Order: sequence, then C-alpha cells, then structure tokens
Amino acid sequence: MTTATGPSALHTVNLVKIYQTGGLPVHAVRGIDLLVEPGEFVAIMGPSGSGKSTLVHMLGGLDTRTSGEIWVDGKRADTLNESAWAILRRQKIGFVFQFFNLVDNMTVADNVELPALLGGAPAKHARERRQYLLGELGLTDKADAAPAQLSGGEQQRVALARALANQPQVLLADEPTGNLDSRNTRDVLRLIGEVHRQGQTIVMVTHDARVAGLADRVVTLLDGQIVDDGLMAPVRRRPKSGAGDVVELHG
Amino acid sequence: MSHSTTVAEIRWVRADLRARRAQGLLTVLAVAGIVTALITAATLLEDGTNPWRGLFVRGNGAHVWIHTKDAPDPAALRSLDGVTDVAGPYRSAPATLAQGGKKTPVALQEMAAVLPAVGRPLVREGRWLDPGSPDGVVVERSFARATGLRPGGAFTVIGLNGATHSLNVVGLAESGDQGFYPEWAPGLAWTLEGTLDQVEPALGRSESVTGLRLADPDDTSLIVQRTITKLAGQVQRVSTWREVQASMELDNRLLGVLLGLFGVAGLVAAALAIANATGGRVLSQQRDIATLKSLGFTRRQVVRMLLAEHGTLGLAGIALGVLCGRLITVYALAETVVVPLSSAPLLAIAFGTVLVVLVAIWLPAWRGGRTPPIPAAPVAPPRGHLSRMARLALLVRLPPALVLGARDAFTRRLPALLTTFGLAIPMMMITIGLGCWATLDDFERHPEQVGQAAALTVRPGSLTSGVANTALADPDVVAAYPGTEADALVPGQTRTVRTRAIGTITDPYPFTVVEGRSYHERGEAVAGQGLLDLLNVRIGDRTRLTIGGTPLIVRIVGRVLEPEQDGEVLSVPLDNLAPKDALPPRFYGLVLRQGADPAAVRARLQAQSLEVSQVVNPADRLSVIRVIIIALVGVLALLGLGNLLTASALGLRDHALDLAVLKAMGLTPRQVMATLVTGTGLLAVIGVGAGAVAGALVSSGLIDLQGAASGIGAGIGRSPAPATLLLAVLTVVGAALLVALIPARRAARARIPVTPR
Amino acid sequence: MRLHLLALLAKEPAHGYELKQALEQIFGNAYPSPNIGQIYVTLGRLEKDGLIRSVDVEQSNRPNKKVYYCTAEGREALDEWADSPTEGPRVRDEFFMKLVLAPLTGIADRTVLINRQRRHYLAIMRDLVELAQQTDQDNRPAQLLIEGAMLHLQADLDWLERCQEDLA
Repeated sequence: MTTATGPSALHTVNLVKIYQTGGLPVHAVRGIDLLVEPGEFVAIMGPSGSGKSTLVHMLGGLDTRTSGEIWVDGKRADTLNESAWAILRRQKIGFVFQFFNLVDNMTVADNVELPALLGGAPAKHARERRQYLLGELGLTDKADAAPAQLSGGEQQRVALARALANQPQVLLADEPTGNLDSRNTRDVLRLIGEVHRQGQTIVMVTHDARVAGLADRVVTLLDGQIVDDGLMAPVRRRPKSGAGDVVELHG
Repeated sequence: MSHSTTVAEIRWVRADLRARRAQGLLTVLAVAGIVTALITAATLLEDGTNPWRGLFVRGNGAHVWIHTKDAPDPAALRSLDGVTDVAGPYRSAPATLAQGGKKTPVALQEMAAVLPAVGRPLVREGRWLDPGSPDGVVVERSFARATGLRPGGAFTVIGLNGATHSLNVVGLAESGDQGFYPEWAPGLAWTLEGTLDQVEPALGRSESVTGLRLADPDDTSLIVQRTITKLAGQVQRVSTWREVQASMELDNRLLGVLLGLFGVAGLVAAALAIANATGGRVLSQQRDIATLKSLGFTRRQVVRMLLAEHGTLGLAGIALGVLCGRLITVYALAETVVVPLSSAPLLAIAFGTVLVVLVAIWLPAWRGGRTPPIPAAPVAPPRGHLSRMARLALLVRLPPALVLGARDAFTRRLPALLTTFGLAIPMMMITIGLGCWATLDDFERHPEQVGQAAALTVRPGSLTSGVANTALADPDVVAAYPGTEADALVPGQTRTVRTRAIGTITDPYPFTVVEGRSYHERGEAVAGQGLLDLLNVRIGDRTRLTIGGTPLIVRIVGRVLEPEQDGEVLSVPLDNLAPKDALPPRFYGLVLRQGADPAAVRARLQAQSLEVSQVVNPADRLSVIRVIIIALVGVLALLGLGNLLTASALGLRDHALDLAVLKAMGLTPRQVMATLVTGTGLLAVIGVGAGAVAGALVSSGLIDLQGAASGIGAGIGRSPAPATLLLAVLTVVGAALLVALIPARRAARARIPVTPR
Repeated sequence: MRLHLLALLAKEPAHGYELKQALEQIFGNAYPSPNIGQIYVTLGRLEKDGLIRSVDVEQSNRPNKKVYYCTAEGREALDEWADSPTEGPRVRDEFFMKLVLAPLTGIADRTVLINRQRRHYLAIMRDLVELAQQTDQDNRPAQLLIEGAMLHLQADLDWLERCQEDLA
C-alpha cells in the first residue's frame, strides 16, 4: 500500500497557527511536522482543544496557517491563495465533517455529483460515479431523497460518497463519527476501512478509539504539539477459525 | 471555467430557489411592483404632459400639413420619396363664430362622413358628421371648451360674405394635427363639404389643406423642402408635427422631478428590500456556503452563484414588472392612456432597476463569498450580550419579555440596521408622498398662495372700456387688475422672456412674494425663480430689457411664486411701461372672493359677452401624481412587508434555541410571543419613527427644491399635516406589529426541539 | 464457568459436548472457547455439590453418554446468581500505580509510559475492531460483548488522556 517512490501525500514543516482572539494570541498549533505517505491511514487524537481540527483544516486549506509549510502531493500549498486552495481541494482533497454538512436543499444525488461536476467531470461521468458510490455505500434507493429525510449514519455515508466523488489523493475527516450512535459508527467505520484497503490515503481527526483502531498510525496531539506518533503494531494474527478472547484481551 | 463547473453552480442555485419559493416570490413581486409603478407613472406622465403623441398615434396623424391656394395633386405628393400616405386635400375656409355679441374667428374644414385613414379626428363627445344632418359641425375640443360649445348646441357662423348660417354642434373631437386653442388659433371645426360650400361659396377665399404622413418623422424638414419645390410657389404655409407637439406640451418639469424623486426613492426602497432579503438568506445559508467552499467552490464562484440566484429573482421581477406595466397601460388605463410608454424611458426604467438590483445583491453576495470555508460547527447565533437598549429596558423595570425582545432586536447589528433602514426609507417616502399630497391640496384650495391670485382673466376683446367695471359688478369678483403681456428682449439672450405688467404702484397685484418684497415704485420688478436662473441675477440686481423697442431698466426687488412659463416671467407694475405698450390693458386679472367657484363666475361673465378664461392651476396637471402617490404607497408597503418578514424570519431562526430555554425557564407562550414581537416591533417602531421624522423634515424642502428646479420657485412645499402623519405612523406600526405577530404566535405555540441543527 | 454451565443445563438437559457447542454458538469467538476437559471437570464439581445430576443414556453403536440436568438446589444457586449484582471494573489500576510511582524512582518518564500504554490500548482496540469484523453481524451477544470491551477500552483511553493532561 505504501509506496516509497512517489511524493508524500501530505507533508507539513513546522506548521503553526496562532489565533488572535480579543487581542490575545492563542497558539492552536505550535510547530507540527507531519509526513503522510500515499495510502496511509493516519488517525489524529488528542483532547479537545489540542489543535486537531485546526490541523486538518489547515491541511485542507480551510484555515490559513500562521507560519510553516504545507505540501500536498509534492507541491507547496501553504502559499496558495483562497481560490487556488479551492481548486486544489476539488482535485485532490475530500472532506468529511462531524455534522455531515450536506447541502440541505439538494438531493442526495446532487450532493454527491456536485464535487465531480466542480472538478470538471462531464455530467454523465458525474452521474455514473455517483451511482457507483451510492451503490457501494448501500444508498442507491436514497438518491432522490433530501438529506433531512436520512438518518445520521446515512447522511454521513452520503458525505463520505461526496468526499470520494473526485477520487481525491487525500481524504480528510474531522470527527466523522462524533455525531453518530454506535451502530451508525460501525457502519461508517466499515466503509472507511474498505476505502482505506482500496488504497485511499486518509487523515482523520477522531476522539473515538475504535476509529483510531482502524488506522495504520496514530498521532497524538496535546496543546498543539505532537506528543506521540506511532505506527500501530500490525494486528496480532490469530488463526481465522480460532475464537478471539475478548475477556482475556481486556485483561 | 469548464462547462460542468457551471452545471454545478446552476444545480445549487436551482435547488436553493426551489427550497424557498415563497420568499423568492415575494422578492419577485416587490421588484415587479416597483417596476410596474414606475412604468405606469412614467406612462401617465408622458401621456399627461405630451398629449400629442397619443392623439397622433391614435388618429394616425399626418406629420406635415401643407396649406395651398388650390388643391394639389395628392398622387404627386404621395409619389414623393419618404411620404407614405396623404390626407386630403381638404378645403378650409375662415369664418366667424357668433355667440351672443361675441365673435370668434374659426376655421371651417371639410371632412367626409367617413373618417379618413390618415389624420383622423378622434370623436370624444357626441358623434361624427353625418350626411343626414348637413348642418352639423364637429368642433375641436379645446376650442369648444374655450368657447363653451357643447354637442347639441348652436353653432352660428358668419361667412366672409356676411351671411349668417345656423349650424349645430353634433360632436367634439380631438386631433393631433393642430395645437390646442387658444395657443393655436383660429379654432377648428369640421363640416361636410356641402355645408362648407354654403358658408363660403367662393373658392378664392378658401385654401386647401393637405396632410402628409411620413415614413420617418426625422425627415420632416427635408420633405417639407421637397414639397415646396414640387408645388412650386403654391404653398402658403406649412405646419409640422414638431410645432404641434411643442404647442401641446405642458411644462412637465415639476412633474418629472417629482416622479424622478419617487422613482429613485422607490428604487432605493427596493434595493434595501432586496439587499435585506438576500442578506438574510445568505446569513442563514452560511453553513451551506462554507460546505460548498470546503468542496472546492472558490469565493468568486460563490459570489457568482449568489448573484445569479438573487439576480434571477430580481430580473424576473423586472421582466414581470415591465409586462404588468404594459398590460396596465393597455388594459386598465386604456381610457386615459392612448399609447404605451415610448422606448427610451422604458429602457431607462428597466436598466435602472437592473442596475439597482445588481448593486443591492452584490454586497450580500460579496459577504457570502467571504464566508470562511469551515462548516464544522453549526452556525450559532451570536450570544446576545445585553445591548445598551436592553439595559435601559431593565433599568426602567420593563416586563421580562420586553427586555429579552429588546436584547434580541440588536443582537445582529447589520441586519438590525438593514431592517430599520428598510422600514425607514419606505416610511420616509410615504411621508414625502403625503407632503406632495398636502402641497397639491394647497395648490387647489389656496391658489393665491402659490402665485395665482387671479383665478380668471378677462380679455377685453371687442369691448374696449368698462370691462373692469362689468367684471367688478359680479358679487364674487373682489378685484380686477389691469395687465398686459409683452415679450422682452434681454441682452445676451437669444430668446425673449415674458414680461407681464400687472397692477399699478398704487394698487399692486397681490403676488405671492417669497423673497424680498413686491414692487413699490416705478423701475422695480418682481420675477419668478425661472427668470432669476435664466438671467443669472439675484434680488436687488438691475436688469435691462427692451420691450417693443423701448428700453426698460428695472431693479428686481422680489421673487414671487410663478407657475407660468417655467417661472421665466418678469412682472412689473403697469406704470413701468410706456403708455403705448401699457394702454389699453390687454386683460384684467380677476381676484375672486374666497371660496367662489371660478367656473360659475366665468359662466356669468361670459353671459355678459366677456371673453373670460380660467387660469390653469398647475395642480390640475399634477393630479396624475396623486395616482402615483397611491401606487407608490402600495408598493412601498409591499417592500416594508418584505423587510419585516425577512427580519422576523431571521429573528426566529436566531432565537429558536433561546426560546426553548426560555420556555424551560418558565416563560409563558404569551411572554415568548411578546419577546418575539418586541424584537421585530422595536426595529419597526424605530424605523418607522425615524422615517416619518426624516420625511417630515425633508419633504417640504425637497418639494421646494423641485419647485426651484421647475422655475416656480421655492416656497410651495408643505409638510403633511401632523394628524395625517400621526395616523400614517400608527397605521404602519400597527401593521408591522400584526405582521410580526403571526410568526411569533406560531413559534410560541410550536414545540421547539433543543437539539442542535 | 460453573454457573454458566448450570444456566445452560437449567434451560435443557445436555451432555458435555453439547454444552461446549452451545457456548460457542451463543458467544461466538468473542468468548474464550473452553476445552472439553475443562467442561467435564466443572460438571463433575457441580455434580459433587449436588447442583446437577446425570443419567446415562444408551446409544446405538456408541458408548453411553452422560446427560446432565439441573437439580432444585442448582436452581436455587442460579436464582441467587441472578439476583446478586455483578462487580464493576476494577478500581485499583496497575498502570496508574506504575504511572505515579515509576517516575518517582526515575526509571521511567510519564509521557513515555502513557504513550506506550496508549499504543497498547489502541492495539487491543485494533484487535477488537478486527474481531468485530470477523464476527457474524447477526450474533447479537457476541457483538455486544465486543462493543462492551471497546467501550471499556475507550474509557481507559479517555482516562489516559486525562492523566496526560494533568500529570505529564
């Protein structure tokens, strides 16, 4: 999955974000160096206020950095203006948010087709891609529904489909399961896992250890700095047929 | 910019429009209302002040009338390049209309019983000529008015040979082929060919009149030249449509400026309404816009989409308004308005509104484009810190609902400001409209206060002496001022100005002097604003004129309200003129007893064989503005309604969560309702109050300004009566509270979920 | 396991191998699968305590099998099991002792300890996620058991986060 040859999917150098709130500078992110290889699934964890969301927002150009560098797919991105970032997002970055953020007035189908059309795909291709994605996510029969008619889990699946519509280099997700019950979380997680297995690079902010459990690598932030960055030990192999021992695992 | 990117934009715009049909419809209607009102008003203005156009179009008039000794060959004229059709030739003979002792010259013109295709008189009363009654005549309406002729009345003419013929008036008709009487004399009457032959058997004493209809009116002078050449020396005189139009045209400057003011105000109100609606929409869409930006929509695209979406509504409104305006002029005003608005003002209105709509949308769209692309957190209403207003409410121990409402009202500053302005501007315009109304009322009830002391003018005509005494004998005539009018040459001017000598130093004419004083001695004069502007002089300046070759140096000592001649009139005492110019007086201005009916007095005096004419009150010409005022008040109310709905919708959206909390804290539904109504109502009251005050302050000033611009001069403006204004304010505030009440009631009763959106 | 087997027998009489199968079927691979010897030892103890009895059932072509059933005393014991609350998670946490005490002696850094522990927990979580994926989705008891473990683990991670914020 991880290719050593091509450029890294995402790369930050000493990334800093300082908010000015009421004249007082607030250091949200203080010097983060992060390298994400293509195909990697990085979970970003940390207590609330540790700068996780600010970090992914900056990675996607939703927020401007105060200093430092951001490289997306081997190209410097932190110097881009707002419009150039927007165009970069269309082509290379998919976003999934905690509150789904589907466009309420548009049907599920339109929501999913929107980024593809925006990326310049002909309407026919956009439709085919949408049909494929909704099919994969089990939402074919919801194509003409309004987002408000869908459950939270379904909405997040639509949001995932929308994020993947342009086959982005990087999928950025900000607490995608933060607003879901455990059943829907499981569904969304399974989908994210599948997408990752197909080679999708994912950077995901999460507070949910189950979500982090899917990742190849967990980065822990505290006070805007990385306190831990570790590859997860590969899954302990046990015979497929053999029964796991939850009780024992849990000590 | 690829094609599919545009598809993406269009999809979003379409989806958003579909999601808020009612709101969109209101915007479309508001814009359509404004445009309709503007077009209707402009049409009325054009028609009211330029009647020639309607008459000409409806009567399929001839552009050029040629008067020749003998009848020319119509075929030869028709063959001229640029001439599409020919009217006549008709025989026309001078005669004298005898009414009692009064004799008026009249031109009798033959016409067939079947109305011709070109240069058709338009029958307004009675019927057209009929071979069955050969002694019937149809009289041109303005002439009939001046001479008091009515269908069924007698029409006694004396031919040049001295024979008297008793004819009957069978109808009154209008024509765009000659100007109104008395500006265009002699008066016109149509008879059948045989009748004319009886009145004037001698062909040598009549002339032939032929009308030419042209393919292009701009070719008039060219074709006139060609015709004169063609008819080689036969042509006695030629009248063209330009002269007719000019003679019919009324001073429409005052009306035009008033209309312009209303138009601009209507546009400003519309702009505010649209800006408010768009702004409110964009505010409630922030999350969607942020989402779109996170998907990769650029700022420019967002602005473009918002412009497209709201612009579509605005443009639809304009299109609908143009259509409605046309339909109204064609159907609803078919009686008053003959032809629809000409294309120049129509285009000006259409493009003006387009521009205004686009500018009004651009600001909220631009703000929308600047929405940061992070949609993660649901947009929370700004947490209301207690505004100063709310603190004040607390201090004076108002009920909690009022305090909370007062807090809500100012939570979002910009929308609060927009709402206030959005109501203040229409209210200001309504107040100005009421001021115009009051001014018009004043014109009608107290013409002496606006420079029309004399309601009637008597021309001695054939009687040379005793006119004044005859007139003064009438119980309603208070005074008779001898006067005469002459055109004076002003050095450095290529044109003459009207000089009116009226009253004497011992018995000055009661001018409405608004600046300086009236004349007290020889060599002094008063002038209208128009003249002061024309000569670029001020009160106290001396000016030199030449009247009938006699130089005259006068000092202008005062400015009077001068409704005639665009105010370009210099008034001097009769003593100022050389006796040859001053005597005998050409007319007497009659001042009537307060409350006397000028028409009745005029009828009585006419019965005594006096030639009396009634002074045209400018307010008569301006009566069309009353229609406009009513229409505009309607449209402005619509705009205010739109603003209020936007404001209360935004308020509800902002406070839905607060309401749940407030209910949980124990506010009764009634208190919740009161809170919401206070929130919107407070803005409404402030806006309406500010608008009314501003309107009252500026209305008389603005009308004076327009008065000055139109030459009448400042001093005509009146503020609306305090009682009227108070009533208007109370009505509007009451309506506003009612409008705010409906959604508030619904919200207060609804169960409000406490979940985040 | 005594009471688990007893509960199964209270449902219906069974022999040892049937009990093993029932446990596997109900809990899936989320539960440690007991070996058959362990089951027979437990059954022997239960019989000795008088909570169950056994009868031999003849089988054709095979040796007789022993079918166990629950006695009245056994049912009483089950009632008592059902009526008494079950202990919650431990309060004395070994890692916490380590976290507080080890830095005092200078043998370990708290951040390192916490990070290591987190990785360990996350690794367990990853196993659980894997396990959940391998487990039949319709097997509610098994899925619930896994989810319970995950939630415990989540709580442990959250608590770790608190420790890091306050101590490290």
